[in-house]
Amino acid sequence: MSLLDSLVLGASVLILGTLSALIPSWTRAALWIQAAGVGACGAVAAVVFVAGGSVGSRFVNGVSPALGLDRLSAFFVLTVALTAVPALIFASRYLDGTPRRNAIAALSGAFVAALLLVLVARDVTTFLIGWELMTLLPAASMLVLRPDRPVRHAAFVYLTVTHLGGAGVWISLLVLSSHGALGNPAAGAALGGPIQALVTISAIVGFGTKAGLMPMHSWLPRAHPVAPAHISALMSGVMIKVALYGLIRVLFEWAPRSALWAALALILIGALSAIGGVLYALFQHELKRLLAFHSIENVGIITLGLGASLMFEASGQPTWASIAFAAALLHTLNHAAFKSLLFLGAGAIEKLAHGHEIDHLGGLLQTMPVTSVAFAIGSMAIAGLPPLNGFASEWLTLQALLHLAIDRAQAGWVGPLAASALAATAAMAVLCFVKVVGLALLGRPRHPNLEAAREAPYEMRAAQLFLAALCVGLGLAPGLLVPYLASIRTGAPAAAPRIVLVAPGTGGLPTLAIAVILGLLIVILVRARGARVAAPAPAWTCGQVVEPSLNWTSSAFTKPLRLGWELVLRPERDVTISTAHGVVQSARYRGQVPHLFDTVFYLPLIRQGARLGARARRLQSGSLRSYALYLVGLILALLAVVRLGWLG
Amino acid sequence: MNLTAVAVEVGQIALGVGVAPLLPGVVQWLKAKLQGRRGPSPLQPYRELRRLWGKSRFLPQPSTVVYQWAPSVVVAALASALMVLSVPGLPTASPIGHDAVLLVGLLALARFAIALTAWDTGSGFALMGAARDLMVAISVEALLILCLALAALPAGSTDLRAMEEAAAGGAIWLSPEHWCGLVAFALVAVAETGRQPIDNPDTHLELTMIHEGPLLEYAGRDLAYLQWAASARHWVILVLGAELFLPHAGPPVARLVELVGWMFVALAGLAVTETMVVKMRLLRIPVFLGTGAGIATIGIVSWFTVGRP
Repeated sequence: MSLLDSLVLGASVLILGTLSALIPSWTRAALWIQAAGVGACGAVAAVVFVAGGSVGSRFVNGVSPALGLDRLSAFFVLTVALTAVPALIFASRYLDGTPRRNAIAALSGAFVAALLLVLVARDVTTFLIGWELMTLLPAASMLVLRPDRPVRHAAFVYLTVTHLGGAGVWISLLVLSSHGALGNPAAGAALGGPIQALVTISAIVGFGTKAGLMPMHSWLPRAHPVAPAHISALMSGVMIKVALYGLIRVLFEWAPRSALWAALALILIGALSAIGGVLYALFQHELKRLLAFHSIENVGIITLGLGASLMFEASGQPTWASIAFAAALLHTLNHAAFKSLLFLGAGAIEKLAHGHEIDHLGGLLQTMPVTSVAFAIGSMAIAGLPPLNGFASEWLTLQALLHLAIDRAQAGWVGPLAASALAATAAMAVLCFVKVVGLALLGRPRHPNLEAAREAPYEMRAAQLFLAALCVGLGLAPGLLVPYLASIRTGAPAAAPRIVLVAPGTGGLPTLAIAVILGLLIVILVRARGARVAAPAPAWTCGQVVEPSLNWTSSAFTKPLRLGWELVLRPERDVTISTAHGVVQSARYRGQVPHLFDTVFYLPLIRQGARLGARARRLQSGSLRSYALYLVGLILALLAVVRLGWLG
Repeated sequence: MNLTAVAVEVGQIALGVGVAPLLPGVVQWLKAKLQGRRGPSPLQPYRELRRLWGKSRFLPQPSTVVYQWAPSVVVAALASALMVLSVPGLPTASPIGHDAVLLVGLLALARFAIALTAWDTGSGFALMGAARDLMVAISVEALLILCLALAALPAGSTDLRAMEEAAAGGAIWLSPEHWCGLVAFALVAVAETGRQPIDNPDTHLELTMIHEGPLLEYAGRDLAYLQWAASARHWVILVLGAELFLPHAGPPVARLVELVGWMFVALAGLAVTETMVVKMRLLRIPVFLGTGAGIATIGIVSWFTVGRP
């Protein structure tokens, strides 16, 4: 049985699982079958990823369906599998007691199948079918879960924005395909400058919208929080990465005249998304919405790596081009691991502790220890702290950006500035996740609901622990993957994998040694300090009593930042104090940080669109005579065009 | 990995661990002299560490394992950062490499651990300090990366050993970006060591604390750990600054002597600044450090525009 057959077999099991979810009371079993199917696909992809080469069809420019797998696709299929297997197993218990859980389970399987279809598609039609399904199915799952008004609005915004932006995907792919440039770099290089520019810009807009890059991200923080947790994990962990997969195919393989301006655009958009994403994440009060903003940040970091790679390519420095490319892909996998872990954790917390407002959580380390530890590991990873996986890929990305200047790439001065933006992003992520971990897991419970919180069932814990182990494992030995990832770019056979991260002109990152040294030191220090403890007493806090009503909130913790960056953030604050006879009767406080992209960028756009729409409606007068006039006008115009020979 | 390199590495770790507490002691001593006070001896931090080591730890009531383990994590991160440093003119062999960017990660790890303890006890003053510390860290990390980039440009590498070698000699002082790096790094040093005008290490007013805030609840050996970590932060930043941005040349022994001399000058600089400048408003810190970022950016642009011999 060939590898492609095994892949098709795995996908068939996945589809079988999807169909069996429709049988009532089979939901759990169906999700397990789906997980087994995706797992099989992932195993095949792992083989192809390590062995290299290509399985099945190559890219074709016709319209007949073709499927295949090469190292790049295999890497993304592997990412899908590593995320989807725990997500589906998590869902098998997460959906307990959810209304219409059969439909959600079936949609989950179909969603994963659509993701895989995009990745193995080798012709433009199959790709676009998979692409549209991948967009539509999560929207369906949102509406099935909670068909109320806010969710309908979120789904509407999601579909509108991704479809308006997604037109770019159609344009770039259809133009490439019509010039026979899919999988044919020579034809891609032969395209004229204007056509290449059209393809590049529409690819950045189209795939960038789906990836949630700023300023095309408007849908992302709305759509992710309302989906079921495991679908959110898949959307954030994999779906936005599949968009980057398309961007990589077009920019790096099919339109291969590496233009400096495209690289600069990617670095600019990447830095904007990284900083903007984390900055707005800081001021979110809802856990899943906060995580959604962090997805924008991380996609920005990946885009920074891709931009650096393209810039090295444009300056003819293939070694660092491949390292920067590997950094971007490594961060793709790392982000898939920790972000899906965090979304699953948020789902578990929401289900079992009945809260998604961060300010109303607290003390979960006591009541949900396993979920909490996994969540804390994911938080440290996303904050880019050594020795976890987030640090490894951010280190490699930072090095790539610094080496833009050190190795004097064209326009390399942009490198250190982007690196500095990335460092600020990492520091803000630390601030954000100190807040999240502190408010959710530590301290005393901040809400009466939390008294009843209990640990998640076995399957949900196992899914989270698997992803947490993945975060640790990828942090200890990221170097095992890097040579394979770099070889995708160079096309040469992969160098021998090493545990440590090495790159020319750096001190190297011996990840395993760092973890061992840190671990050893911590254990020695904890032992050295002994066990002698004074009698327990309440926290001192300068003589005050720590009262629950005086607990610090998320807004309080971010206040220094809100004030320090007031010029950029434009926070709103509204304090109403009502007094009677000189005595304060009540005080009301309301504050928020408005999303400036919405108010400054999108609202005028929407208003203008509505105005144009109102104007266009005048054409639809309802009068038969005016329609007849339009028809006559159309025919006359067509005749004129034919007469002038514009149709060739 | 040869034996000399291992011996030098062990020596530099031992020196760093042993001498670090002297640095804040010297600043306090110099400051007292400048202000016409008698002041404590430079060895005062050692006495405090000994005193604290003899006392019991204290666990406030709502606290978890995070509170108990954080001091050890902070010290482990700082000790690892100490290992990453290079020794001027001599070969070193750190088990965790000598990459400059790793330092930034290790400092962030320490910051994360100590900030979490503030949430663990739920103490408002600790949280206030932690929130401010993390806010300042955003600008500091961005600026630190720019400084490291400026030092890495002439070296062609982010390996601290190569960066130190490239900063040696007199020729480098002819290029403007090195001066920009020096000025920008001075701001980083003030912020990272928690000195005025960013933070006031002598304050006893909880409302104004930044770095000291999250330490309020700690006692005994835990506090000893955290105080050593604060002085190790002085060591890491000042050694880094002296190696990358201050003049040094000659054989290894001369460079070591120069390093000691420059460390003393840097400490004196901190003491003079603390005497002359008052603590600035918290909200002005991003602007202050942003100025540094502007200077560093000028340096980077000049590297790409000014012709090189």
